[in-house]
Amino acid sequence: MRNFKAVIWCLSTILILMIVIPLARMMIAADPAILKTTVSEPEVYFSILLTLRSALWATLVCAVFGIPLAYVLARWKFPGKSLVQGVIDLPVMIPHTAAGIALLMVYGRRFFLGKAFGKLGVGFVGTEAGISLAMAFVSLPFLVNAARDGFLSVDPRLERVARTLGATPWRSFFKVSLPLTWRPILSGAIMMWARGISEFGAVIVLAYHPMTAPILIWERFQSYGLKYARPVAVVLILLCLIIFSLLRWLARRPREA
Amino acid sequence: MLRLEDISVQLGAFRLKNISLHVEPGAYLVLLGPTGTGKTVLLETIAGLHRPTGGKTWINGKDATHWPPEKRHLGVVYQDYALFPHLTVHENIAFGLHLEKKPRGEINKTVEEMAGFLEIGHLLKRRPGRLSGGEQQRVALARALVLKPYVLLLDEPLSALDRLTRGRLRRELKRIHGELGVTIFHITHDLPEAFFLADYLVIMKDGSILQEDRPEMVLRRPLSRTVAELLGIENVLPGTKEGKKYLSGLGILDIAELPSPEAEERAEAVYFSVPGWSVEIFPEKGENPYVWKGEMRLAGMNFMDGYVELDLAYPSGEQLRTSLSRRELGNLRVSIAVGASVPVGILKEGVHWFPR
Repeated sequence: MRNFKAVIWCLSTILILMIVIPLARMMIAADPAILKTTVSEPEVYFSILLTLRSALWATLVCAVFGIPLAYVLARWKFPGKSLVQGVIDLPVMIPHTAAGIALLMVYGRRFFLGKAFGKLGVGFVGTEAGISLAMAFVSLPFLVNAARDGFLSVDPRLERVARTLGATPWRSFFKVSLPLTWRPILSGAIMMWARGISEFGAVIVLAYHPMTAPILIWERFQSYGLKYARPVAVVLILLCLIIFSLLRWLARRPREA
Repeated sequence: MLRLEDISVQLGAFRLKNISLHVEPGAYLVLLGPTGTGKTVLLETIAGLHRPTGGKTWINGKDATHWPPEKRHLGVVYQDYALFPHLTVHENIAFGLHLEKKPRGEINKTVEEMAGFLEIGHLLKRRPGRLSGGEQQRVALARALVLKPYVLLLDEPLSALDRLTRGRLRRELKRIHGELGVTIFHITHDLPEAFFLADYLVIMKDGSILQEDRPEMVLRRPLSRTVAELLGIENVLPGTKEGKKYLSGLGILDIAELPSPEAEERAEAVYFSVPGWSVEIFPEKGENPYVWKGEMRLAGMNFMDGYVELDLAYPSGEQLRTSLSRRELGNLRVSIAVGASVPVGILKEGVHWFPR
């Protein structure tokens, strides 16, 4: 028993250290004075804000379409359901630069969809909308899968009882299914947002400018070296750590009183 | 109140076949059948949760076949209660009343009255997750009853409870039915529960209704071997009928009363239904309330909770099962042991035949 616990702890710790050491090393090496200057740089400030905002938009818009899709996948049987499930998981599997190229081919100015949006005044190449689109494409599975698992964990009989008590399907969804699933949905949304913020490959293909934080870090690293890239990375990581810890705390399971 | 006319349902590989039923206002109908026989599917179809492939549903004289569940005004209580875990007991009970847009004061009054009636008034502020099974069941009943449904549909409502609570809630259901006069459609696989509660019994197996009548009539005259077995009748003996002569593995049975003339015409090969209580060891001499008397070998004795099960064997290979209470066993004039030969009589009352 003792050996078992020791081995399990040891293996887990190695993995945690694998994540913590590089991040800690980067943090420790950062000069607080340079960090302060970095934050006050308009380019950095703008880029981080743009990253957070674009990922948030991507998450919010996807929630409107993704939550109903998750409900469909959890509750209804239809031909080709596993294929749909596979399609949703696809963005996680393909290289994100490939995803960016695919998006560029459809939402670029040459394809009819890109042209149609262009006529409506919405462009995706080199715009904030393009950044959100690329982020949404690659991070959507996190939200849809979490919401689907959430709906699956709700006994369908609760919805049926609500119907027999006089609730329409809409009422039953909003008064029973959704309130019982908001935690997994929020958790999925946090993951989607986080994944969106960190996206590089798809975004760089579709919208190099305006520059999101991951692209800014890469550009500074390429042009000026590690010393100039590091402070932006540290600021972004610290900010994400604070925001996500807070959101995770909100989405935590309530302890049984 | 509620009438089903040739209702058929197809759910995956499962099928309900031409179900017709009539639930009278104020009745307590129990649908008895083994697990996996389609009882819940039927109940949910009545509630409007599955679309039938054929037939009609009538509620209060109106064709409700295509009505959605929310328009049917039928209450459903499930085996595992299906209480909304994110709402308090009060909010659970008030759920339907809020949807009916009743004034808040009236809702509170109705909820409190019903909670008082079901003795759960002290639980109103609690969440369902922290209640016992019996308490949750009362909340589920209250939630359905406050809406004064035309029919209360109960899906194995006592199955998940321990024996003591089950007994208490069984009496509670009888009280609710008696005092509120609500029409109840209750499905179960539990025989004592069915006989305790039903004033009309429907026997179902494999998606079809096999027999329906008042419980005492069904018990007295099961129409098939399957029904007899479902009713827990201990002995179903194969035999033949030649005119008015009834032959079984035990020899000639002296049955005077016939169950149904239509069956009489058809049948030559028959089964005799012999409930355990009609098999007596050491039968009375003199009077003759028996259809058969003879010596049998005591092949086995199983000591159960409060009674003893006796397996009796006849030289022809025919076997009978009966039981004695511990007290009856103690009062026997002679002590009996496995292997001993004992006189056995089958009482006329309770025995009947049906075609094979």
